[in-house]
Amino acid sequence: MSTLLEVKNLKKHFKTPNGLLHAVDGVSLKIETQKTLGVVGESGCGKSTLGRTIVHLLPKTSGEIYFEGNDITNINKADLKALRPNMQMIFQDPYSSLNPRMSVFQTISEPLIINRVETDRSKLTKRVFELMDIVGLSSDLANSFPHELDGGRRQRIGVARALALKPKFIVCDEPVSALDVSIQAQILNLMQDLQDELGLTYLFITHDLSVVKHISDDILVMYMGKMVEYTSSAQLFKNRLHPYTKALLAAVPIAEVGAKKERSLLKGEISSPVNPKPGCRFASRCAHAKDKCRTEEPLFEAVTEGHYVACHYVKEINQL
Amino acid sequence: MSEKTVAIKSRNSGMMRDALVRLFRNKAAILGLIIIVVLILSAIFADIVSPFSYDEQDLRQRFLAPSAEHFFGTDEYGRDIFSRIIYGSRTSLLVGAISVTISSGIGTILGAISGYYGNRVDNIIMRLIDVMLAIPNILLAISIAATLGPGIVNVMIAVGISSVPGYARLVRASVMSLRDQEFIEAARSIGANDARIILRHILPNCMAPIIVQATMSIAIAILSAAALSFLGLGVQPPMAEWGSMLSNGRAYIRDYWWVVTFPGVAIMSTVFAFNLFGDGLRDALDPRLKQ
Amino acid sequence: MRDKLLEIKKLKVIYSTDGKVVEAVNHIDLEIHKGEALGLIGETGAGKTTTALSILNLIPNPPGKIVEGEICYNGQNLLKLSQKEMRAVRGNKISMIFQDPMTALNPVMTVGDQIAEVIRLHQKMPRNEAYIKAQEMLETVGIPGNRLKDFPHQFSGGMKQRVVIAISLACNPELLIADEPTTALDVTIQEQVLDLMEKLQKEFNTSLLMITHDLGVVAEVCETVAIMYAGEIVEYGTIEQVYNDTKHPYTRGLFDSIPKFHEDVKRLKPIKGQMPNPAHLPVGCNFADRCPDVMPKCRESEPVVIDVGQNHLVKCYKYVDGGDQA
Repeated sequence: MSTLLEVKNLKKHFKTPNGLLHAVDGVSLKIETQKTLGVVGESGCGKSTLGRTIVHLLPKTSGEIYFEGNDITNINKADLKALRPNMQMIFQDPYSSLNPRMSVFQTISEPLIINRVETDRSKLTKRVFELMDIVGLSSDLANSFPHELDGGRRQRIGVARALALKPKFIVCDEPVSALDVSIQAQILNLMQDLQDELGLTYLFITHDLSVVKHISDDILVMYMGKMVEYTSSAQLFKNRLHPYTKALLAAVPIAEVGAKKERSLLKGEISSPVNPKPGCRFASRCAHAKDKCRTEEPLFEAVTEGHYVACHYVKEINQL
Repeated sequence: MSEKTVAIKSRNSGMMRDALVRLFRNKAAILGLIIIVVLILSAIFADIVSPFSYDEQDLRQRFLAPSAEHFFGTDEYGRDIFSRIIYGSRTSLLVGAISVTISSGIGTILGAISGYYGNRVDNIIMRLIDVMLAIPNILLAISIAATLGPGIVNVMIAVGISSVPGYARLVRASVMSLRDQEFIEAARSIGANDARIILRHILPNCMAPIIVQATMSIAIAILSAAALSFLGLGVQPPMAEWGSMLSNGRAYIRDYWWVVTFPGVAIMSTVFAFNLFGDGLRDALDPRLKQ
Repeated sequence: MRDKLLEIKKLKVIYSTDGKVVEAVNHIDLEIHKGEALGLIGETGAGKTTTALSILNLIPNPPGKIVEGEICYNGQNLLKLSQKEMRAVRGNKISMIFQDPMTALNPVMTVGDQIAEVIRLHQKMPRNEAYIKAQEMLETVGIPGNRLKDFPHQFSGGMKQRVVIAISLACNPELLIADEPTTALDVTIQEQVLDLMEKLQKEFNTSLLMITHDLGVVAEVCETVAIMYAGEIVEYGTIEQVYNDTKHPYTRGLFDSIPKFHEDVKRLKPIKGQMPNPAHLPVGCNFADRCPDVMPKCRESEPVVIDVGQNHLVKCYKYVDGGDQA
């Protein structure tokens, strides 16, 4: 397996009226070809910013990004244009991610026109219909406008647009969270099929833990811009180590009778990482926090083979 | 082989069709549209429709009251007021259309640039607009017209430039709300450049308010042009223009009511028609605005 | 059996726009007993919110209209009440929590004013007493009482939803309708809010109508559950009946569509197709086109609701005459 994407110590800070927002604060990750890395976290944890920074939709503050072994951190405009087709994005909101004034055909054909992939009109038409077929859109919808279609079909348009340039890597930013469950399952299956058929690699951003478990090979848990836990999906769900990951997983309502009566209530609220204080960012909500947690930032290190956690007391908490 | 049977339409149809259906259900808007169409037709066919020429003087027939021969009476030179109003619609509509084209064109470009790029560009453009807004519209138009000198073309320019700020602000606001939409990000992620994003993705989505504003401001432009002509800065005699007709007739208002009444009614009904139509357009293009 | 608090009988609500008539809610029956928590589950456009708004007689008219049915509250038909009588019910006997805590609060009023307002509207109470009550309510939902004079923007999303809950419980309503109360919140905050709602519901013996699309939330909070599809209730029973002994193919499909938390499923089994256009509902069963177990007669006539045992109601031909599918 070769590594398709590698990110080293990526940071993205925003200036806000209240101070510097550390949206992404030192994230490193690696995704193998044809694998899916799930990024989970609650709102404001920086997961969307991470995805957008990786595909150069937002300029990074510092850090390095490698794509197929090449350093693309400080890529120039022309090279970025050449790289774009390889890295695409699927957006969260199937309503706002489509131009309401463009038909299905226009939306799917736009990337092909901009990048001069198909200059011949009949070939272009053929390719668009091919893409519509791949994502399961019937060809008689070509002239429809987004407002005439339901959420599931709209999201299929978004997927077709992302696939048009035959990308190797797709950042999926909450692609199913705006959809109804029955439609969500259809889109998840579609994305899995596409991965198998086209050899795609995904960075799958979501707040939904059941979805991330279902689709990911590896999972990265983020909290206030920081990496909290990073391991394989199976390992995370079997043997999670960080107190935040534990609380997060315990909070998910399970659709089974009597599945859970114990509530591990996490006190407090998520604040945003504006001018963050030193120490562990989870300390104020953590039941295990000690003085050290409030002064010294925990290192993100391997606790067992391939299982990384950022917590001073991970061994004590888990009796390792 | 359903692929072959689907013909690709190149431009928008769905949304516009819905809007037209809504528009035609609005009776007030249709009334406005009918008046506008009648005005346009009479302006085009003025030579055929009007019984006299606009500059045909007959000093023996000064100040004739409305009659079967002169529907709206005659003025101080014995010219037929009905004919002059018909010819005047040419001037008024032309002034309205062209000055609105000028203002909406410049305003849209400035607003789009300002809203899309933000920061310093936005600051410079918007302060410029603020300065323009600080001067009352008509005063600005008067000073521009006074600088350029009287004449119909200068009136168009003056009225056009004086209403640029409204468009710039309107377009800037909608561009700013659109700028952060995901489809703009999506366009960027497939490699679209700024020009394409503004022209293909942003502007088509703020057309509705621009169209509405344009329709409404045709009325204002006609009024402004009339006001300029009234002040003597606009159309020069003997050319017929509603504002100058009012202005020339005001001396005789006590004795010969028809000299000012009919040009006044013409201006009023035209403005009224454009406002009705503009209101209807707004409701049709953006049904959410109407509860 | 506990006393019946609310009974919806054969409710039918239509929306007519541009000459098209949409049957948003089509002859549904529901019962809520005192102290019961009923979950109403359905996807977008199933008619959940319309049902909730009907109870408070808040259907926007036009375009909406309640054309048939009764909503009996303590034996009194709410649909027959005058606007004035209805206002005395809303917020007092029955109150509602809306989905988005960001827009449910008035940004220019302090939270104290907003809680006191509803108290003073319904209970003749002097101003200062209403504020004392408001402060108590804030503390009940876990917000320090000294934040009474704060404005909504000074609260986070989860806190705002707590304020909304405080407002809705201020008059000790007998029935609380919660329309997706936690959908806009993060899971850990959702957990806190659900916990609070459950506690308060027990404490005040309030009945709860929980409207949601989330099968998990209902499993945590409710005792009975109704599954809605295209304006109809397709399955209705206790949590145990519906979750452990799922009957209707749509309910089955919903469960198969959600990724499992405790077991590994390689591939989900989604429900095929889309929800039918509510303006052109099919003849027969609304779910027929998406149903894996469809039979010829499903497309001919609408199935009736039958009891498959101990008030477990299902609207499906599979269970008529003990089931006659192949």
